[in-house]
Amino acid sequence: MLNVAGEISGDSWGIFAFLCAALCNLPAVPALNGTDELGTGQSIQKTYDLTRYLEHQLRTLAGTYLNYLGPPFNEPDFNPPRLAWAERVPSATVDFDLWRGLTDNARLAANYRAYSRLLCYLRGLDGQAGTAELRHSLGHFCSSLQGLVVSIAGVMSSLGYPLPAGTAAAAAGPPAPAGAPASPNDFLKKMDDFWLLKELQTWLWRSAKDFNRLKKKVPPAVVTLRLEAQGF
Amino acid sequence: MLALLLLCLRLLRAEPLAYPAVISPQDPTLLIGSSLTATCTVSADSRLRAEDLYWTLNGRRLPAASYAALGATTLSVALARLNGSKQQSGDNLVCHSRDGGILAGSCLYVGLPPEKPVNISCWSKNMKDLTCKWAPGTEGETFLHTNYTLKYKLRWYGRDNTCQEYHTAGPYSCHIPKDLALFTPYEIWVEASNRLGVAVSDVVMLDILDVVTTDPPADVHVSRVGDLEDQLSVRWSSPPALKDFLFQAKYQIQYRVEDSSEWKVVDDVGNQTSCRLAGLRPGTVYFVQVRCNPFGIYGSKKAGIWSDWSNPTAASTPRSERAAGGCEPKGGEQNTTLRRELKQFFGWVKKHAYGCSNLSIKLYDQWRVWLQKSHKTRNQVLPGDKL
Repeated sequence: MLNVAGEISGDSWGIFAFLCAALCNLPAVPALNGTDELGTGQSIQKTYDLTRYLEHQLRTLAGTYLNYLGPPFNEPDFNPPRLAWAERVPSATVDFDLWRGLTDNARLAANYRAYSRLLCYLRGLDGQAGTAELRHSLGHFCSSLQGLVVSIAGVMSSLGYPLPAGTAAAAAGPPAPAGAPASPNDFLKKMDDFWLLKELQTWLWRSAKDFNRLKKKVPPAVVTLRLEAQGF
Repeated sequence: MLALLLLCLRLLRAEPLAYPAVISPQDPTLLIGSSLTATCTVSADSRLRAEDLYWTLNGRRLPAASYAALGATTLSVALARLNGSKQQSGDNLVCHSRDGGILAGSCLYVGLPPEKPVNISCWSKNMKDLTCKWAPGTEGETFLHTNYTLKYKLRWYGRDNTCQEYHTAGPYSCHIPKDLALFTPYEIWVEASNRLGVAVSDVVMLDILDVVTTDPPADVHVSRVGDLEDQLSVRWSSPPALKDFLFQAKYQIQYRVEDSSEWKVVDDVGNQTSCRLAGLRPGTVYFVQVRCNPFGIYGSKKAGIWSDWSNPTAASTPRSERAAGGCEPKGGEQNTTLRRELKQFFGWVKKHAYGCSNLSIKLYDQWRVWLQKSHKTRNQVLPGDKL
């Protein structure tokens, strides 16, 4: 189970210890669900594939949306200041060593929180924006993004991690425009939209690496024990 | 005192780099051809001065000749005879610091007020709903996002209703799915609005029963008419949804040869549910379609609206016998000749041979001799006469 190439993080030790304890108490353990062996590995792979797909979809969507915003937003090296509200969009950029040292739980939780918020803000994008075609592409992308959020939740639950508090509503569905504070003017809103798309791109790029890492650390041979709540 | 100072500092810090400068007017709406003077004022705690600033519009730097400093921290720019906005999200007028950094921006909405929408046409599918479409006035280029709202009300009473389902039959269309009344005319109009104003179309008055359309006829069957090479029989049933109301419905048939794109239309089918196509080419595959017009439904005196054509049904006319050339013409000829001869032989046997008891090849030869003799006497025997 702990077929790790590098160091073993704290969480993995915990799982190991837990497993030992569980095995020692085998007669008391209700059921070893063997079919979950492949489940987690496949979920992680599926989530990885989803991030690549979304990355591809976003390239087209972002291009169209930035053209709608007009120059200079659609210029290749455009780099406006990140103003107050834009800072509330969760940033994917993180110190490399910090990123490397993340526990599986923390890694997954960061992804889950980020996409839940990004989805919320994306849904709040101007409902009247541009052509019907653009609105349709946006809608389609939001659905796919919701799929990613659900997929991450699935991986977390199959590994026994609780979902981060307060983000459950985002995965549930309907847009919560109240979650996206209104920009004081149209130009600032354009800049916020720009940074939203930028962060989305960066997150999808980073998530691919996150899930690639998880794939290696949690091979298909992990046995997930489904136990009743008593004592464990 | 100290507390007050701290409070002030706290307030100042509440808007750190959020708004390094302020543009006025912020996000204005303007008519095409109008002029604008905009100002950019850097915030008090910035070290920038008016001479450190410059303007761009949609990413293109504006000429310094149009700038004017209105104080130490304010730079203005004059824009004359503005063209329609490059994108519907507004032109981007941006105030930059010397190094190119963005300090503030304003979205300019330059365009025209909407024109009256025109050409409103509506149709009801099976009297259950109403779909209307219209065209924007002029070519629709107002440079600003224009919102269209379709409204309707019963002619003599009732309040205004607003259509909710848009774009069902193209970009300028709306669908009213239910709660429609029959036998009372409706007033229908479209309102177009954008940032510069509102325009209302003329009111169209219609009775749902006058604009009814239906599904194409069902169960279209095309079959041959016995051996007739130039005819096909077409049969169908009236569209199921209005089956009980289509007493005066009209039908139309169109057909074409398999490898042609030219349709022939049969117009005078009336309200029968079958028709015979004649004058067709033998041995050819034909495609046939039928459509229905619910004319006179519920006593409406107006023509309804033709349904879509049914899916094409194919059938072929029988191949002509004569046309089967190249087979065995000699064989045919021989058969006919032999038959004729036999007939004549039997006739002679009856007369001269007292029944068929001694029917043999000898008798046949005798008859042939007799035949030759009678030919000689009746006609001139020519050389090469058949023996």
